[in-house]
Amino acid sequence: MQRLFNFLTGLPLAIILLVAIAMYSIIGTVLPQGLSVEVYAERYPQFAPWISALQFDHVYTSFVFYVLLGLFVLNLIGCTLKIFPAQLRRLKQDYVMTPRISAEELFDSSINQEMFRSSLTKLRYSIQKTEDGFIASKHRIGHIGSSVTHLGIIVIIVGSIIGAIFAEEGFFNLMPGDVKSFPDYGFAIRLDDFYFGFRENGTVEQYYSEVSVLRSQQPEQTAKLWVNQPLSVDSLSFYQTSYGWASRVLITKNSGEEVMNIWLRKGESTFVQENHMTVYLYGFYPNFTITSEGEPLTMTEEMKNPHYAVILYEYGQHVGSYIVEPGQPIEREDFQITFQDSTLYTGLTYRKDFGYSFVVAGSAIMFLGLMFSFYFTPKQILMTTNSIKVVTRQNPWGLTYQIKKLVEASRIGKESN
Amino acid sequence: MEQIIFWEETFFTVAFVAYTAAALAFFAHVALKKDIMGKTAVLLTSAGFLIHTAAIVLRVIESGRLPFSNQFEFATSFTWGIVLCYLVLHYAYRFTAVGAFVMPIAFLVMGYASMLPKTIKPLMPALQSNWLYLHVGTAVISYGAFAVSAGLATMYLIHLYQKKDNETKTGMLTAETCDYLSYRVIAFGYLMLTLVIITGAIWAKAAWSRYWAWDPKETWSLITWLIYSVYLHLRFHRGWTGKPAAWFAVIGFLCVIFTFVGVNTLLAGLHSYL
Repeated sequence: MQRLFNFLTGLPLAIILLVAIAMYSIIGTVLPQGLSVEVYAERYPQFAPWISALQFDHVYTSFVFYVLLGLFVLNLIGCTLKIFPAQLRRLKQDYVMTPRISAEELFDSSINQEMFRSSLTKLRYSIQKTEDGFIASKHRIGHIGSSVTHLGIIVIIVGSIIGAIFAEEGFFNLMPGDVKSFPDYGFAIRLDDFYFGFRENGTVEQYYSEVSVLRSQQPEQTAKLWVNQPLSVDSLSFYQTSYGWASRVLITKNSGEEVMNIWLRKGESTFVQENHMTVYLYGFYPNFTITSEGEPLTMTEEMKNPHYAVILYEYGQHVGSYIVEPGQPIEREDFQITFQDSTLYTGLTYRKDFGYSFVVAGSAIMFLGLMFSFYFTPKQILMTTNSIKVVTRQNPWGLTYQIKKLVEASRIGKESN
Repeated sequence: MEQIIFWEETFFTVAFVAYTAAALAFFAHVALKKDIMGKTAVLLTSAGFLIHTAAIVLRVIESGRLPFSNQFEFATSFTWGIVLCYLVLHYAYRFTAVGAFVMPIAFLVMGYASMLPKTIKPLMPALQSNWLYLHVGTAVISYGAFAVSAGLATMYLIHLYQKKDNETKTGMLTAETCDYLSYRVIAFGYLMLTLVIITGAIWAKAAWSRYWAWDPKETWSLITWLIYSVYLHLRFHRGWTGKPAAWFAVIGFLCVIFTFVGVNTLLAGLHSYL
């Protein structure tokens, strides 16, 4: 039992898990994720059974990956609990580190002890006198660096997993005037306007949604959001993530009778029962041009020369393709089809995830821990009547190099320098 | 404006030539053990760095932002980061021979940059954020540090190879010094890489709604971070200094290069502009 506990909280397992998580993650970057079983079977016929069995089609939410992460968190907690008490003891003033057997002897018989000590004080070492010399110490806080780093990582992983379990996410499109309500949260969002910010050359610089937050018996609150500038309402955040054009399609009979008056977006179609006609909006081009290959294209998103590409089918058979301007009718037997009033709509993503606060807090803790570990590493210089040795765990070479120079500069006769 | 573009490209080319000459001079310094060659190499590196900085400043004037938004801009900034890290190390410790192993990497990355299109394009909406500067700025420094550590590790491995007839010394740098310096530079690069990942997560939350989406670029930066985490643990708890540590430093840098170049050319994802 003790052996199992030691293994679960030990470094060998930590190394195995770090490597395993890295390897497993590589699979997720090389193999396309989230495709259907049929697609994997077609693309990778030999490996398809393995891909399904080992859940390589959704590596990062697979059972194996969760087990690896779970073991990693357990290992990290166990390891930290094991080392933390000893690290706390080392924080005490009277703790003296033991030099390595290989530690270089830096003593120089011509050293001016007083000068050496004052140089160390200038370098912010605290000096404790001993019977035959002194101990200079610095950066005791570094002893707990690894534990603080581990704590940060635990907070990040546990916080993000719990956050993800309770996270809510969704996406919706709104045209100006449309309202999306969030009854569970007691408010609704109305899009007041959506527009582009253009550069001089006509390219889009930014996408802006102006919205109002509506609550019963409360005044409306207006807000503007754009890419990189989300809007927070209570615990929900809203993000500008897409946009598109919606166009009004009006189908009338030659007699003037209105058959249909609806909005279509690019790639959408509508069906007229009477003559089994499908009207398919292939594309809308606000600043229309045509490529040398004959493909319709928009040069910019500015409404300078709007055109529609429309395809008609009857009984499933293609009967005509058209490029038309707004209001220009397409005549088909007894019907007239016109497109007009093209309007921009916005695409907003909303998300609620309290795990993010844990990630930010954990990241800050981890960064602090790494700073303690790498740049506030505990250092001691042990000086007796005939010996000077440096003790540090992280970088004995660097400290030896630095103190050697200090010893040289503290030789008798160097005072005048 | 055309004048600025002309001078930017001229300075870039001159800096590239200076780095190439510096790499050759460093080789000569190590091979012939002539101090004058070492001094010339450091001078060329320093001069190249100043001219390279001028090229970058001109690009900043042209575009009105830091050069962090496409493969060319990152490659030139990455080279700048490598040379900066090397020069800081050089002026702190004066180990000239290190340049012979770091400047070839700078030469290769700069050569890669020189082959890429240099056109300046305005920032797409997702990149219009101050986090861009923190996220990519820390990446430049972090990658630069890892390149220097890989240079030091290579130097260590060459020491091992030459050990029989040359003890453990070449010039003024012992194998042990290479090993420790490589570790210190990795520790710095690791800290910076941690910041790259943290700032990237905070930025992704603001731009894409999710702080982590397992995009290939972010996954590969995590893989790199995991590899260096293994390095640090093995070094301190299993005494993996010297040869295994040096190999680890080289493998870690290969991960860095893959994150930078491989992910863009071989894998599709949200970071497709970089």
